Amino acid sequence: MSDQEQDKLKQNPSFVLRAIKDVAFEDRPVPKLRDDHDVRVHIAQTGICGSDVHYWQKGRIGDFILESPIVLGHESAGTVVEVGSAVKYVKVGDRVAVEPGVPCRPDTIFAATPPWDGTLSKYYIVAADYTYRLPDHVSMEQGALVEPVAVAVQITKVANIRAGQTVVVFGCGPIGALCQAVAKAYGATKVIGVDVVQSRLDFAKSFGADGVFMSSRAEAGVDAVEHSENVAALIAKKFNLGDGADVVLECSGAEPCIQAGVFVTKKGGTYVQAGMGKENVLFPITTACIRALNIKGSIRYTTGCYPAAVDLVASGKIDVNRLITNRFKFEQAEEAFELVKAGRSDVLKVIIEGVQ
Amino acid sequence: MLVQNLFVDVDGTLMIPAQNLSFVLEKTGVVKYEDRPVPKLESPYDVLVNVKFTGICGSDVHYWQHGAIGSFIVKAPMVLGHESSGIITAVGDKVSTVKVGDRVAMEPGIPCRRCVRCKEGKYNLCVDMRFAATPPIDGTLAKYYSLPEDFCYKLPESVSLEEGALMEPLAVGVHITRQAAIKPGQSVVVFGAGPVGLLCCAVAKAYGADKIIAVDMNEERLKFAKKYAATHIVASQRESASDSAARISKVCDLGLGADVAIDASGAEPCIQAGIHVLRTGGTYVQAGMGKTDITFPIGAMGAKELNVKGSFRYNSGDYETAVALVSSGRVSVKELITGKVKFTDAESAFNDVKAAKGIKTLIEGVKD
Repeated sequence: MSDQEQDKLKQNPSFVLRAIKDVAFEDRPVPKLRDDHDVRVHIAQTGICGSDVHYWQKGRIGDFILESPIVLGHESAGTVVEVGSAVKYVKVGDRVAVEPGVPCRPDTIFAATPPWDGTLSKYYIVAADYTYRLPDHVSMEQGALVEPVAVAVQITKVANIRAGQTVVVFGCGPIGALCQAVAKAYGATKVIGVDVVQSRLDFAKSFGADGVFMSSRAEAGVDAVEHSENVAALIAKKFNLGDGADVVLECSGAEPCIQAGVFVTKKGGTYVQAGMGKENVLFPITTACIRALNIKGSIRYTTGCYPAAVDLVASGKIDVNRLITNRFKFEQAEEAFELVKAGRSDVLKVIIEGVQ
Repeated sequence: MLVQNLFVDVDGTLMIPAQNLSFVLEKTGVVKYEDRPVPKLESPYDVLVNVKFTGICGSDVHYWQHGAIGSFIVKAPMVLGHESSGIITAVGDKVSTVKVGDRVAMEPGIPCRRCVRCKEGKYNLCVDMRFAATPPIDGTLAKYYSLPEDFCYKLPESVSLEEGALMEPLAVGVHITRQAAIKPGQSVVVFGAGPVGLLCCAVAKAYGADKIIAVDMNEERLKFAKKYAATHIVASQRESASDSAARISKVCDLGLGADVAIDASGAEPCIQAGIHVLRTGGTYVQAGMGKTDITFPIGAMGAKELNVKGSFRYNSGDYETAVALVSSGRVSVKELITGKVKFTDAESAFNDVKAAKGIKTLIEGVKD
């Protein structure tokens, strides 16, 4: 049989994480609708997230442990090809962004969080009300970026960012850069991006930040917390933040940034932890207490974030195309993952095309 | 003719015992008993409850007398009742939080779980809500009723099935109090000393309100309110709303005004007085349902920067809070049960409620 004929027999090619550091392409059956409210989406584009790479390399994040193979990927957009009989939200042919986490129906499912399969397959089944129509002028590539934009929208919502506020964002990777852009879109007056990589800072300055700050690592022999306090003071001084920023969004997960973040938040201000690094860090808790800070965690997204994200992309307020630095075909998925893993500073969002 | 649970022919011959005897509103003003099929479990997460006690709400009486509330119109016969407790007799394959034999309070409104309101946690506002005894959905005044496991709340040993039937109106009271965001030390004026108003007083007390003032035109209900949960009672008089508010404020020593006003009467003069009795920055909650359009003191609302909210049924956490309040002894509902009738005397209970006799009359479940 020729390769072409063999390809035609494939039902639902999938990119599977079989075990730690062991990925492979598998053909799986075309998935069926689970109930009248489901739709089947032909996936067109999928972005890669740090969590996908982490499961691949380490096999666990917190309590979620890889115990059996899972399909990877969760940042996708595609075309609806089948709808359940009770579906009102979308119809066959609609181009949609897919929200990959569905709670309480009755299980809580998150694509590519073990044990649930992700979206790097030809087809993906999802509840209809977790798909969001993309306006005609929004491409599938932009559609795949809706997920990280939704994450940034949630972070901004948790931080309760309002017009006229000052915001310092630690980390200028995709999430940090998007937080800066969303904060601006929501009326923040001054948004500062902080990072240790110049090219990331350059990008942030051209994307959503009003100003950027090159942070430094503590020198040998210098107390780490004291250094973080100094970094915070430098940021506050350079950007005329006075007592500190109204809001700090920590999108790096790095311990020195977490500390500097607390120190640069004004009295009564809000600090939001979005970045994930070390699980336990040295935290300036007395400063947090004396300054009466509001400290919150932010994870994924909640009701309303996806529609807001689609709107930010569709209206042009956030140009997500600029975040896409690398594109791969489905068969090159492993290469794509290797690129994200390498952590190069010139790589922002890597996307994988769907199975044609 | 109906004798207990059995249909008896005119010559006295016993016919087939009813499987699922139900109390049905056939059309406006006409109720009857009917045997209906025992409900099947539609989902593996559903349970079947043998209903033991059912309280009656003003809405049940309203459908009986008028056949409609707003756009909800009784177009076909409908089983009445929605304030129930019972014992679980069957569970679906995937039920894990309750088991056969459990005594439960039943939450009678099942939302779609998919719309934005549901996902926000405000499932009482779901557009596709299926609420027992709101047409066209059948109610709980039957031998059996089926519902999802997560809408059943286990009653602790110390809480009787009779008290279980009061969980629904208590959850309404909890929701109103949460909308009002009552904090310890505050003053609360509750207009209307019917079951809902009384329960609002009780919940406000449990939440630490310092002054709880019950207002009504019915002396008996006011006396009861004073013994039950109110710290002060005020009888309504024919006077302007602002005079009424000033009088309440003076008699109860409210200083610049009450922190919170709850209307559980639906009566226009009470609504107006409620706005006037608040201090600047106070909170007003509309729970009562009367005339749909009224003359409203909007100037006072704006100038005093009041928070004005509606309250409708209950949502996330209200039933759990209701059960916890009763099981911990912080709220007592026994006193509100002023009558119990047999299932076959259900119509008399409806007449009592219509005549505003007593506070809560419970209808016992169908006897075997």
